[in-house]
Amino acid sequence: MLLLNTKFLSLKNSVNARVVLKRLPFILIGLGFWVLFYVGTYKVLSYVREIIFFGEILSKKLFSMTFFSLLGFLILSSIITAISSFYLSKDIPLLLSKPVKIKDILRLKALDAFANSSWMVLSFMPPVFIAYGVSYGAGGEYYLLIFGCFLFFSIITTGIGITLAHILTRIFPAKRTRTVLLGIGMALFVLLYFLIKGLIPHDISTPEGLISSIMSFRAESPLLPSYWIAEAVFPVLTKSGFDVFYALILFGGALFFLLLSEITGLKFYRTNIERIQPSGEIIKKGVFGGYYPGINTAMLYKDIKTFFRDTGQWSQIIIIGALIMIYVYNFKSIPVNALSGFSFIGEIMVLVNLVLSGLVLSAVSARFIYASVSLEGQAFWIIRTSPVDINRFIRSKFLYGFIPVTALMLILVLLTNLAMNVRGLLMYVSLGTIFMLCVSVSGLGTGFGAIYPKFKYENIASVSMSLGGMAFMLIAFSLILATLSLEAWIFYIANIGEMLDVTGKLQIAAAIILVLLINACAFYVPMKIGIKKLREQTGII
Amino acid sequence: MILIDNVSKSFNGSYAVRNLSVDVENGGIFGIVGPNGAGKTTTIRMMTGLLTPDSGKIIVGKYDIVKEPIKAKSILGYVPDKAFLYEKLTAREFLIFISSIYKIQKSEALSRIDQMLELFGIKDVGDELIESFSQGMRQRLLFSSALIHNPEALLVDEPFMGLDPFGVRMLKGVIRDLSSKGVTIFLATHSLHIAEELCHRVGFINKGALIAIKTKDEITGIEGGLEGLFLRMGE
Repeated sequence: MLLLNTKFLSLKNSVNARVVLKRLPFILIGLGFWVLFYVGTYKVLSYVREIIFFGEILSKKLFSMTFFSLLGFLILSSIITAISSFYLSKDIPLLLSKPVKIKDILRLKALDAFANSSWMVLSFMPPVFIAYGVSYGAGGEYYLLIFGCFLFFSIITTGIGITLAHILTRIFPAKRTRTVLLGIGMALFVLLYFLIKGLIPHDISTPEGLISSIMSFRAESPLLPSYWIAEAVFPVLTKSGFDVFYALILFGGALFFLLLSEITGLKFYRTNIERIQPSGEIIKKGVFGGYYPGINTAMLYKDIKTFFRDTGQWSQIIIIGALIMIYVYNFKSIPVNALSGFSFIGEIMVLVNLVLSGLVLSAVSARFIYASVSLEGQAFWIIRTSPVDINRFIRSKFLYGFIPVTALMLILVLLTNLAMNVRGLLMYVSLGTIFMLCVSVSGLGTGFGAIYPKFKYENIASVSMSLGGMAFMLIAFSLILATLSLEAWIFYIANIGEMLDVTGKLQIAAAIILVLLINACAFYVPMKIGIKKLREQTGII
Repeated sequence: MILIDNVSKSFNGSYAVRNLSVDVENGGIFGIVGPNGAGKTTTIRMMTGLLTPDSGKIIVGKYDIVKEPIKAKSILGYVPDKAFLYEKLTAREFLIFISSIYKIQKSEALSRIDQMLELFGIKDVGDELIESFSQGMRQRLLFSSALIHNPEALLVDEPFMGLDPFGVRMLKGVIRDLSSKGVTIFLATHSLHIAEELCHRVGFINKGALIAIKTKDEITGIEGGLEGLFLRMGE
């Protein structure tokens, strides 16, 4: 309890009226997106429920599929945050040197891992739950139940994540945690591959096949917590009774996995901590050993080297990788033939593809571009006291994120377009659009990261998960949506009539100018403000 | 070489440094001493460009640190009191990075890096990650990085932090040697006996204001030396 008190005191000391006021815009943006999520889920749900015969079953499927996806995501995120909290946190040497029981340290760190791995999901899920509640006209008992059950569900994933983190750190013989994470990443990719491969055994080239494949989605294994939560909550949602059994299983499961994580911790933690201490590891020179960077490339070269050696940074690729795999797989599974009868289906699919790739772009940028300035950490004094102009520094940070993110996004859009048989003008337009978005979102991310740097962090993943990081992600996605809406409008105007009148041409010109203008502003303005803020930055010292 | 002219700096309405004026000649070793929170570190941070003075000016060589920061910083070396470094680089890689941003030519840089690693006794660990370095090794690396570009002035906040007796003796030699070669040294410290031994002049600062400046000869004549003087002034 005493250890927990330090957390509460830190929180209390960092929250005051000034901080809240400063963060008010972010809170408002977050609320705006809550409304958007709510409206989006409600619309989809209303549409699905109207489908004759299958509606209600599909609605329940979507409900359990949501929890099934969350199960995987939360376990993955828990493993990574558990390794950071238990093994890489800066307060560990202090805690271990004090007369504190290991059990208490384990409990404190479990709470840390729980908060860090699930806060984002916990704060973005309520609109979905509310949309379900409103759609079914559920009473207060539904909201209480889903809140409680989701809490237990998240605790279960944290418990599993922590247990696996202790075991994996124990199993892998290397002293370096990155080897452990590489192992986790590979194992998960293999798992995900087989999981996805086994998911859709049906022919999905017809609407019937598609529905049938959704119906066969194996989220129903009674062994999975996602099944327990769906079974506990759905009857209350549809007012068809309440099965206390699954609620109790969730509660019991949460207790069991917490206990299991503690027992594993008690068994392995002490030894594991000793195994991962830095121990004068000699770095071999490698292929670029003799390379001497000039002033323009020195920072970029340093950042790249650091990236590959810093587990905290590249372990995030695992989560992003899983996200991308799911995205690509979804496009591979699109029933193009079944949909070919609809007009403008090609254009609509390209648009949907761009919206989804925009989501990936926002998430990737938050993790790698927004966090790039903060990556300097408390060593930022080196840049500030060196004869390096902040402009040059920001340019280097921009390139550090922009080059890999653009390459990734271009390849993704190209491959998914090819999977959908998109060719010609649509292909060029979508590639051009994603390139432009990469430029503007990279500028936005670098600028935002410079305006709200977090040089004192426990692990770099916490930077992109901060309020500033979340706000950036939402603003970036809004920029993407605005750009794509304007482009869709251009396409619509250009295709509705054979001959365009003057108003139509003016509308197209205005939309093109607007697209270029908002993207140019997103690229330029935040970086300009960021440079000014960094020059005034005294928070690092 | 270093001119601090009537400089003030306040945080949240209270002065950290008030109307400070100091002039250090080429090759001079100036020490600034004072109790905790007196304004020593703030003074050095303003000299490096990490903080901007509210009023007054700081000239390094010919350059105003506020108006021409890049030129001023290119002739400065700085060793801070807290050794935050790029933990995932090796010592050698870190020095290569510093050499690059100071625009030192490759061949010259590589030979300077070897010299520095040798001089500060960290050649054996040059290819190890900084994260495994002890406080003393970090301090040695900080000095290496501050001197790699042959600065004209060296600013040091607590120079002997974490160093073992061998390190202290070596560093005292390095500082004297630099001074004899014309490098101006400005250091803030709590180690009064070292300040007394090394510095040509010592300034006493308390509550942001400079109380007195004494030369080495003046300090030698005072009862109890620098420590006696410090305790009397701090009362």
